[in-house]
Amino acid sequence: MPGDYITNYLLSLTNHLPKEAVDQFYHQFGLDLPLTEQYVLYLSNIMQGEWGYSYAYSVPVFSLIMEKLSWSLILLLPATVLGILIGTVLGAWSGWKSGGKKDLAVFNLMIVIRAIPEFWWAIMAVVVFAFYLKWFPLGGYTSIDILYTGLSIPDVLYHAVLPVSLMTFFIATGNYYVMRNSMISVIGEEYITTARAKGLDERGILWNHALKNALLPMITITTFQFAAIIMGNVFIETVFSWPGVGLLTTEALRLRDLPLLEGIFLLDTLFSITAMLAADVLCSLIDPRIRMGEDV
Amino acid sequence: MMSLISIAGLSVRFATRSECVRAVDTVDLEIARGDHLALIGESGCGKTVLGMAVMGLLPENALIRGTIRYRERDLLQAEDAEMQRIRGKEIAMIMQNTASSLNPVIPVGIQVSEPILLHRILPAKAVQAEAIRLLGAMGFDLPERAACRYPHEFSGGMQERILVAIALACRPDIVIADEPTSGLDAEVKSQILHLIKKQMADRTLLLITHDLGTARFLCTRVAVMYAGEIVEEGPAHDLLSLPLHPYTQGLLASLPSAGLHPIPGMSPSPSHLPDGCRFCSRCPSATARCSTEHPRMSVRGARRVRCFHYA
Amino acid sequence: MSRKMILRVSVAVLCVYFVIAICAPLFTPFGPAEISGKPLQPPGNDHLLGTNDLGQDIFCQLVYGARITLLFGFCSALLSVLISTTVGIVIGYYGGFVDEFVSRCIDILVPIPMFPLLIVLTAFFSPGVLQISLLMGVLGSIHGIRIIRSQVLSLAQTSFVEGARAIGASDFHIMSRHILPNVMPVVMVKFVSQSQHLLVMGVGLSFIGLWDTTTVDWGTMIQNSYSSGGMALGLWWWLLPPGIAVIGISLALAMIGYSFEEKFNPRVGVNRI
Repeated sequence: MPGDYITNYLLSLTNHLPKEAVDQFYHQFGLDLPLTEQYVLYLSNIMQGEWGYSYAYSVPVFSLIMEKLSWSLILLLPATVLGILIGTVLGAWSGWKSGGKKDLAVFNLMIVIRAIPEFWWAIMAVVVFAFYLKWFPLGGYTSIDILYTGLSIPDVLYHAVLPVSLMTFFIATGNYYVMRNSMISVIGEEYITTARAKGLDERGILWNHALKNALLPMITITTFQFAAIIMGNVFIETVFSWPGVGLLTTEALRLRDLPLLEGIFLLDTLFSITAMLAADVLCSLIDPRIRMGEDV
Repeated sequence: MMSLISIAGLSVRFATRSECVRAVDTVDLEIARGDHLALIGESGCGKTVLGMAVMGLLPENALIRGTIRYRERDLLQAEDAEMQRIRGKEIAMIMQNTASSLNPVIPVGIQVSEPILLHRILPAKAVQAEAIRLLGAMGFDLPERAACRYPHEFSGGMQERILVAIALACRPDIVIADEPTSGLDAEVKSQILHLIKKQMADRTLLLITHDLGTARFLCTRVAVMYAGEIVEEGPAHDLLSLPLHPYTQGLLASLPSAGLHPIPGMSPSPSHLPDGCRFCSRCPSATARCSTEHPRMSVRGARRVRCFHYA
Repeated sequence: MSRKMILRVSVAVLCVYFVIAICAPLFTPFGPAEISGKPLQPPGNDHLLGTNDLGQDIFCQLVYGARITLLFGFCSALLSVLISTTVGIVIGYYGGFVDEFVSRCIDILVPIPMFPLLIVLTAFFSPGVLQISLLMGVLGSIHGIRIIRSQVLSLAQTSFVEGARAIGASDFHIMSRHILPNVMPVVMVKFVSQSQHLLVMGVGLSFIGLWDTTTVDWGTMIQNSYSSGGMALGLWWWLLPPGIAVIGISLALAMIGYSFEEKFNPRVGVNRI
């Protein structure tokens, strides 16, 4: 990143910069080396997990992110898995019955859900379910009781219900849309007519022919969804004060904590690239056309 | 000869938002057991729709009237389950488009054995062997190997053979072949036609094509369709050497061997069909009556013609 | 409600938003940041939607906030679509090295997640709303380039392009007169969906404080009321209006987008007669 790292860092600590201190820092962090060497140093540091120090928290960025990551995962893993399942199943069903009343209803519903911003859903959920109905806690990942009783798993799970439900909700709409489109285009294919001409009943066609082909694009999509887990969900975590990577991002932004933000960004990018590669590999394993090197 | 399939008064219309498309209009056709009937016509004349109607594969927005009698049942009134029993087992179809009619992610052997398994023709263990035997009969050199491959690994001609294998898998009585050689080059086309002729020897064939040469090679009877109607019908040899209907005459004249004389004008749009004879605007021997009255079928021995000149 | 009806209503709603945003000073008695009344007043005669914790009129904030939110959304969408269309057409048309090179660049850029990048860049440069919207426009154009490019590729093979060449048309002429009109449907759909997407994202970004929190737009309004416990005190007029405003335009744009998509891509169609 451009900019003078040391100057920024030191400025965040004190207002007055004695020259000797600056020089010493320069030397220690290798900033007086030529740029290419600095980049090599940067890369090797990254590999070793040395991602810099957070301005605000004064702890190494890497460990901070990792710590928060596990909290994010509590929300995101179930939400993503459930969301993918529900969205795909609904999308397949909707695509299969496309044009019918039920399909129309669900489709329009999904559009409306998607149109409303995520954080708004979150706020409304908190307001309605937590505040007025008092079914769920207002936020956070645990109640005050831990001061006395220590962290209890059921308590955490209880706090997780609302955010997880909301996330599932939202993730499902994306999968729904893609799966539905995929199913619709598969149904229009001629090999479906061939299957009908063989005397296959609707169920047989759905399971043996349609689904296999319709699921192909979903592989790529879901791989990316799993990669996106790393980012945490900024909106949900912020609204629910859930101590995950998303909330960390918001805080870091507020405090203009550059190293931390860069660290998060780096992590996201790495995962994203991994996801792309994984998706490519998976696709080639599953689709025989790609395996043989055909032009799909 | 007893009719195997009796089509009476068949009309297929498609209702779209703005117009009504009359794809097939009051068609009567008899197909006897052992017949090889060719349904000839240009694209859009309704021949594929007719074939699909027999199979019961028309889309939901099709409005169908008339009857298709097969073995004392009316196929158009049959329930879904019954049609599914018939399709593939008693009446099978060879699809038109080779590449896209095969499921790209399923190996070919499984696609061929699917109808056999479905209709329980053979016990499960014997199905695999039967599929391989079929592929061998279709001309595949190493059928065991071929069965494990995917459709895209084969050329157009080989894919067509796979489609033929699929159609014949359950040894159906009737095979409907929809443009079986479209898109194939001349040599492959000839091979496929010979294959089909050999396999259809003791079966009933309904061939849908626009190619007169193919019809002449494979079939004993010909029915000519124009703008959704049958305009002429009769034994293949007679009809093709001595066509009665002006359209058939025009078709034959437009062959390369006859001098490539095209029929002037274009066929009417199925949503805006004229009163009177539908061929009138392009007919060299049209009279005043032709443009106002709609001709009915007239019988001339073994032939039927829809033209006032033979009424 | 039929599709046409929905489309008309959505367009009407959109127009209303625009009119309100543009003519804001005409019917707002107070400025957006002006402290014009007692804090936390419910809707009344003086203040159509009540006041917030600082005594600012919520209605006026809403109306002026519309300007920023709409500006953000549509500017970034416009830029995004302009870039992706131009680049997509050029590389799709010329092909060869240019295409290869740019496509590789895109391949590298695609996995980079837009959201964190945006946050990092903003934290570093602390730009204003306009700069961020331009930035998002650029970032958002990356995916679009691929889509436009593939459309152009399929068009460039067709014979009417060859025909145009045969009569001596220049490349630019072909690109602007022949290819552009043909990709317009895709472009329009993309523009509408990008508008919706980026506008909502803009509200979200402002909600988490991406830019100066003193600017009045719907995101900051929601943030203020939420974090200051608007709901806790039962002050629905503080929290709900900006949210409903966002939902309104988001839905309108979504409906328009889907209608377009249906028109141009019959496969996605939902309404069949």
